[in-house]
Amino acid sequence: MIRQIVFKEVLENLLSLRFVLSVLLTTSLFVVCGYTFVNGYGEQSKDYWKKTNENLSALREESNQLYKVAFYKQGIYRKPQSLGLCAEGFEQSLPNFFKVNAFTAELPDTEGQANFALPHFSHVDWVLIISLILSFTALVLTYNSICGEKEAGTLRLTLANTIPRHKVLLGKYAGTMITLAIPLIIGMLVSLIIIVPSKDVVIGGSEWLKILILVLVSLLYLSVFVLLGMFVSSRTGHSANAMAILLLVWIVSVILLPSFSRIVFDVIYEEPTEQELQRRLKEAREEIWDNHERYGKNAGSMSNNLSDPINNPPARARLQNAVTDATNQLLQEHHNRWLEQALARRNFACLSPAVIYQRACEAIAGTGINRCADLYGQVKLYRVDLKEFIRSRDMEDPDSLHLIGPERNMAYSWRTISHDPVDFDTVPKFQERDLALGQSLKLAIWDIGLLALFNLVFFAASFVSFLRYDVR
Amino acid sequence: MKEKGYAMIWKIAKKEFLLNLMTFKFAVGAVACIVLTAVFMPILAADYRQRLETYNGNVADNEAEIRNVIVYRNIRHTIYRPPAVLSAFSAGLEKQLAGSAKIELEKVPELSVTQRGGNPYLPILAVFDQSLIFKIIISILALLVAYDMVSGEREQGTLKLVLSGTIARYQVLLGKLIAGLITLSVPVIIIFVVGLVVLLSYPMVALSGSDWIRVGLMLVASLAFTVVMYQFGLLFSSLARRSAISMVLGLFIWIIFAIVIPNASVHLATQFRPLESPEKRDSRVISLKDDLANELGNVKVDSSGSLITSDERDAFGGYYAKRRDIYWLNAEQKLNSLTIPIKLRYADKSLSIEQSNLNSFFAQKDLARMLSFVSPISTYENTMAVLAGTDITSFVDFINQVRAHRNEVVEYIRSKTDNFSSASFFAICSEEESAEFTRLFLQVHQAKDEQAKASAEQALKEWERENPVKAEPLNLQDFPWFKYRPSPAADLRKAMPDLAALLIMNVVLFGMCFAAFARYDVR
Repeated sequence: MIRQIVFKEVLENLLSLRFVLSVLLTTSLFVVCGYTFVNGYGEQSKDYWKKTNENLSALREESNQLYKVAFYKQGIYRKPQSLGLCAEGFEQSLPNFFKVNAFTAELPDTEGQANFALPHFSHVDWVLIISLILSFTALVLTYNSICGEKEAGTLRLTLANTIPRHKVLLGKYAGTMITLAIPLIIGMLVSLIIIVPSKDVVIGGSEWLKILILVLVSLLYLSVFVLLGMFVSSRTGHSANAMAILLLVWIVSVILLPSFSRIVFDVIYEEPTEQELQRRLKEAREEIWDNHERYGKNAGSMSNNLSDPINNPPARARLQNAVTDATNQLLQEHHNRWLEQALARRNFACLSPAVIYQRACEAIAGTGINRCADLYGQVKLYRVDLKEFIRSRDMEDPDSLHLIGPERNMAYSWRTISHDPVDFDTVPKFQERDLALGQSLKLAIWDIGLLALFNLVFFAASFVSFLRYDVR
Repeated sequence: MKEKGYAMIWKIAKKEFLLNLMTFKFAVGAVACIVLTAVFMPILAADYRQRLETYNGNVADNEAEIRNVIVYRNIRHTIYRPPAVLSAFSAGLEKQLAGSAKIELEKVPELSVTQRGGNPYLPILAVFDQSLIFKIIISILALLVAYDMVSGEREQGTLKLVLSGTIARYQVLLGKLIAGLITLSVPVIIIFVVGLVVLLSYPMVALSGSDWIRVGLMLVASLAFTVVMYQFGLLFSSLARRSAISMVLGLFIWIIFAIVIPNASVHLATQFRPLESPEKRDSRVISLKDDLANELGNVKVDSSGSLITSDERDAFGGYYAKRRDIYWLNAEQKLNSLTIPIKLRYADKSLSIEQSNLNSFFAQKDLARMLSFVSPISTYENTMAVLAGTDITSFVDFINQVRAHRNEVVEYIRSKTDNFSSASFFAICSEEESAEFTRLFLQVHQAKDEQAKASAEQALKEWERENPVKAEPLNLQDFPWFKYRPSPAADLRKAMPDLAALLIMNVVLFGMCFAAFARYDVR
């Protein structure tokens, strides 16, 4: 019997105007998404490789002397992700450039040109299409699934038979989900068909698996709205009223909540400003310099001639390292505050299933704010590796003073770090590691759980409401 | 007869209005709008207050600092843009763009992003403002009110009855249009009133006469926009036989207008009109910098005779020379009088490079705007941003005023320092003082024996006591202070095309509705 209801629902939906319109709209958007992604990705990866190679060749030139490798400020760029197709994660406006040498990793920066004259907009990616357009379609498909049948009088007829109510409900749910899966799958296939033949974008085995998971998460997300639609539909007597309520709920949760949370937190939290950071950095440095004797005699003074008695290389190195450590510490705190604030806004916005879905997709696709923060973490680890490499290489040089300190002049004129050439191939190079599938799933598991919870709540609600529904 | 026609239209309008008021969808929509406004307007106002406080703090700090400047070289203050009071209604680019510009001799200020220094992770969420309530909720409410105006009446059979009377179809349509206008103006006006009351209850908010004109035009724009959306609903209603179909059509057109077009137009504009590659742009900047360095390198000034350095910290992170020898002073004077004009010239040149970049930005923005013109929601958003003074043109206007101010400051410094050649440009000691100081200083250092040295030292000390270092702040009585003058007339002129577009859309849509309704099969 359920099968029959599912079949009937699917057929009815397939022939309806709303279904045709939604297929047309989503498919054309998926096409736009695919084409623009192929263009953009090709250019971005060309740019990325060019800049990365420039950085490496500059580093190669510096490798004629070990200390130069330590001091060379490398520019590390964010690699374009092939799954940006699915979830771009606002990466266009997130920081994409990191400067690092063996002593300090500067704060993430935005290199290149985002056109600031343009209004805030969302990249057209799968997440945008699914979270906005298809969730809307889900409501349009379900708003009259129960009260509409009541109005038409067919619900009475159905229930006059021996079929229990929960079977009707499940049948309708399954029917709508199948209908909704059609534009979803068609659209995804179309955009993948556009992507796969292009030589720029390479989608490997684990990416296919991630795409599969994305499809499942998308279905889970859409099912929230289908159940919501059925719930509201079984609470109201008129389909027009159901539509009004659903639209309001959709607008508030999908469109308004994310921007509400930003303004609310803009008012509550004071943003850590650049001036404040500079002031704190200055204070920390002054504090160290004012008490330079703490680090040993004459730590505060230096002359280029090593034999000059005012020089005290170990003390000087301690002092400079203390300055760098303090700087790194403050930068780290500042970055953490940035991240905390942005994440707090988004966590607040997680009352909205659309934001949860967005977050889950970003985690699976390996894009977005978490990836940027993770990349910065990797850059900082790389800095530690590089310093360790410099230290171990430096040990091989008997002429060096073996004082790895961040003052270039000291390394140059006193030879505190070796001036010997170093084999470029042995110098550690930065390599971005994508998160493994397991780890990205771990990141997304909470969000998937939340979506499942939404599903459960709305299912229970619609079940109870439908059981008590007055079909007259 | 004519009078009767009007009466008929009015009667229909009244009936429709009353019917609409009683509907569930209207109640839901209107209550949601009003509650949202009442809840979020205080937050928006608090946000404005915060920005205003930051602005006032910045301006005060800056003015205090500028009053401490000791030599003309260090007048390098920052100009801040006051936050727009109506930004609560339309945030525009207020949170994206830098509202400040630094006045320097070496550089002409240009528009820039606020990003640097700000939290780079924030763009993951959009900015909220009052116009969001209009463009999202009111627009969908308008569609919901309109979708069954014609097809719903046909389904109920009342349309047949109405048209069987002597009333003309256009009168029915006009009546329905007026009814929609009146119905929807209820929430629109309430939102404006509630919003303004909340906004004005904050003591720091003061609306000037021109602000009230802006608010008035915003109201007109909001009403015009609402009616456009209402007429879309009416058009679909008179195209479809069943109200369910007209609703689906309305909802899909809404999602296209509200979500697809605003995002896709920007997206496509960045694809169709890509910006120049950063390398190419940077290469021009670098070559200009090289030219500047060359030209500055050609300026040969002999400063080898300089003896003493004594620089002190000045305001804005600069330095001034306290007591220097006359050789250095003269060399520096000559150097400044030669290099500063070169730097000024190159500042203008680099401005033209910057502007060609900005023009490519603007071209992209204009394309995006043209593409989004199809959607009344985008047009409405533009109108609101222009009227609130938060769109890009108001920032351009600000930066132009800052540039004019910089020219005034440059002229001021030029006139005060005799074309940058006077010592007061960088030092607090005059030439005579310096000459005397140098003479005494040399006496000490070139003394033949101890006795002569002692007496020379004595003389130097004596002189230093009589002529103590006087580091006094500049007298800025005739300094050209910056005063931001918003140009309401120009803003209103800029809003006119969009406003006109909304009105024209109304007329065209009414024509289409009329054509559709005139041929509507009422059976």
